[in-house]
Amino acid sequence: MKDLSITVCGVKFPNPFLLSSSVVSNTAEMVARAFDAGFGGVSFKGIGGPSVEIINPAPRMHSYNLGSKKLVGLQNVEQTTDRPLEDNIQDVKWLKKHYPNNPVMVNIMGFNKEEWKYLAQVFEDAGADMLELNFSCPHMSVEGSGMKVGQAFKLVGDFTDIVKRNVKIPVFAKLTSNVTDITEPAMYAKEAGADGITAVNTVRAITNIDINNFVPCPNIFGKGALSGYSGPGIKPIALKCIVELAKKEELGLPLAGCGGIETWVDAVEFLLGGASLVQMTTSIVKYGHRLAEDLVEGLSFYMEDKGFNKVEDIVGKALPNFYETKDFDLSRQGAAQFDLDRCIGCGVCYIACQDAGGQCIEWDSKKRRPIPDEEKCYSCMICSFVCPIDNPPLITFKEIKGKKIYTPPPSKL
Amino acid sequence: MKQEGEKVESKKDEYFQIEKPYTLSQAIVEADRCLLCYDPLCSQGCPAEVEPGRFIKKLRLRNLKGAFKVIKENNILGGICGLVCPVDKLCEEKCLASGIDRVINIGKLQRFLVEYGWDIGFNPINKEKDKNVDVAVIGSGPAGLTCAAELAKKGYNVTIFEKNEKLGGILRYGIPPFKLNDDFLDREIEDVLNLGVKVKTNYEFKDKGSIENLLKDSFKAIFVSAGLTNAYRLKIPGSDSKDVLTYQDFLWQINSDKVDEIANKIKNKNVAIIGGGSVAMDVATTCKLLNANNVYCISLESMEDLPADKADLHKAIDHYVIIKPQSQIKEITTKDGKVIGVKGNEVKLLKKGDFSPSNIKDIPNSEFSFNVDFVIFAIGSGVDPKIKELLPSVTFDDKGYIKVDKESLETSVKGIFAGGEIVSGPSLAVNAVRDGKRGAKSIINYLNK
Repeated sequence: MKDLSITVCGVKFPNPFLLSSSVVSNTAEMVARAFDAGFGGVSFKGIGGPSVEIINPAPRMHSYNLGSKKLVGLQNVEQTTDRPLEDNIQDVKWLKKHYPNNPVMVNIMGFNKEEWKYLAQVFEDAGADMLELNFSCPHMSVEGSGMKVGQAFKLVGDFTDIVKRNVKIPVFAKLTSNVTDITEPAMYAKEAGADGITAVNTVRAITNIDINNFVPCPNIFGKGALSGYSGPGIKPIALKCIVELAKKEELGLPLAGCGGIETWVDAVEFLLGGASLVQMTTSIVKYGHRLAEDLVEGLSFYMEDKGFNKVEDIVGKALPNFYETKDFDLSRQGAAQFDLDRCIGCGVCYIACQDAGGQCIEWDSKKRRPIPDEEKCYSCMICSFVCPIDNPPLITFKEIKGKKIYTPPPSKL
Repeated sequence: MKQEGEKVESKKDEYFQIEKPYTLSQAIVEADRCLLCYDPLCSQGCPAEVEPGRFIKKLRLRNLKGAFKVIKENNILGGICGLVCPVDKLCEEKCLASGIDRVINIGKLQRFLVEYGWDIGFNPINKEKDKNVDVAVIGSGPAGLTCAAELAKKGYNVTIFEKNEKLGGILRYGIPPFKLNDDFLDREIEDVLNLGVKVKTNYEFKDKGSIENLLKDSFKAIFVSAGLTNAYRLKIPGSDSKDVLTYQDFLWQINSDKVDEIANKIKNKNVAIIGGGSVAMDVATTCKLLNANNVYCISLESMEDLPADKADLHKAIDHYVIIKPQSQIKEITTKDGKVIGVKGNEVKLLKKGDFSPSNIKDIPNSEFSFNVDFVIFAIGSGVDPKIKELLPSVTFDDKGYIKVDKESLETSVKGIFAGGEIVSGPSLAVNAVRDGKRGAKSIINYLNK
């Protein structure tokens, strides 16, 4: 087994896998079992300022399904924790006592400047290794909190500043993707002294509207709301945010990636994109803590296979390969290649090419085989996306040296 | 006291349960596996042209009503076919998903969609305006029911003449209740009746030419689908004992209200079934479900050549039926008129599928005998010989089946059409459905001439 530890802002994590601040990190008891199962650390569930009593709605979550796949995404209208502050303080103390090697980052959310300061101090005193400032919950019922802060960049700076002035432990700002450019609020956080950025919180969305009673889901007694959406459905958005933050040279802060991570492969993608830590919730909702052993083992095998000795060496490894689209070499072209010996004759490539591609596949109805025309193919590759034959794929892209770009003739209308 | 219309509790449900249906989510999982082929082979494989490729695509795209509509418009007995079709030889035979892992369970999806449609109370069929033209359908098996429904959809006044008390023909009296139960059958027949089809049950044609004479009455066309009701028995010593039944006698009793009576009779007893087809397997499984002791299935064919559908064979074997292939029964032994055993020997068929005596060669020193209490013949059936008298002008072929034009199903008499097993000989329900559709189309053409 490889050493998966990684040190971020002077805090050593046994591995980069954390519970994110959510239902999965609500109590010390749950977190302890997650540590036992192999998680490296936790972002302890968002603790709101004591000035507002939090009561969570019922029901508070909804599963977004796609065909036979359940929980492709998870929508929730949950607020910060509804547990008393004293209980959470006790929990953090207990965790630090019993699990000294598993860093505890405490996610806090003040509802005014004094509360930010107060919460930061009590949790530093309780032994938290880090703080995570929640500037990003997309459905807070309390005015001037959550995502609304993350969208008002100056407040990100102000609240980070208050916290940083009053604690010594590292501080991460957890940002929302619901902005035009996530690097802007990140720069405000940095300038106010933040030590790292967590990206992203749930995405403001609506997964379903009940077509029978017209109520959005989850249905809270006839009412629904645009609210937080998480899980595999948001992974591409979250990964984009991490890459944007990592490529922002002036920022230069360590990143915790969060959004749709289920497997070690997802986690490695976030590391390659520039995250040093990864956090997860929806995948734990779906699989439970037992997914930790596969994250740990999977990452370890990957490091062995690729010859990585430290997790740090993976971090940001893909960044040099990100370009602007204008930088592509357009003189190199190719075409879809078909390994027809393995074709089973379903013809979905033909349908895709005719109806959504370049009409460069004809259909041999007797033999039930596609007849591709390489010259006309413009390598959209949708044929390969619908082809059911995989591992290895039957349809692959291949460069064809000197291939001219085919322009379809004028429409015969 | 039982109220009128209240269902009489039958013990049938205790012995026999049809397969559990898919739930909606299970159906979606299965539909998600479908490759949604271009020019799908499953659709080409269905004699009733139910278009599985289309209804599965509709299910996949959450158009469940549309999927139900495709099935029901194409096959008014779509639910039953979903349950009883040997799909591995039909729609599923060429399913290309087998190239990935395994074929799509098309029959089960079809049945699911039909029951779904019933559950939501959706009527997918539009009936055309009344044409005030009478058509008679003889027999209410799958061919007759389908023909009646197709004609009724187009506004014809259809009357079904059925000699039994209940509609369904072979579906009611020839299929074991673990494959198709009364509730399901009744529900699907209701769809036919809801189209305004009239029914005369317990109706027996007796006088010479009485079916033909319907044309002299108000009826402008006739569809004859009386099926095969004359189950064969071997003429061997002992075969006339009262403990020797045909599969029709047996299934009739099972499917009527006499199930308890027959169950008590064969409980812990040994039964020999003669035959190696799907019906023989169904009867054998039925005996086992009725708690018979040893059940033997004795057939002339070798194990490899058993004509039974694989699923039916496997079901019988799963119920510990003893298959005895390549064997011929020579005698049913009796004592005081009661069956006590069967005697026979192993044989070799010189030519596959030829059961003429000259083709069956005894294997020396292979004699066997089983102690059995009942013998059931499941060796096929033929046309009721009386039917010729009822249709004296109609030509029959040398096998005794009604001769028709293959495309139009018209008999030698203008206005009389025929389909189903009375034309084809032993066949599948879905082929009867095809005939019913084809017959209705021809009748409409004929009436519009």
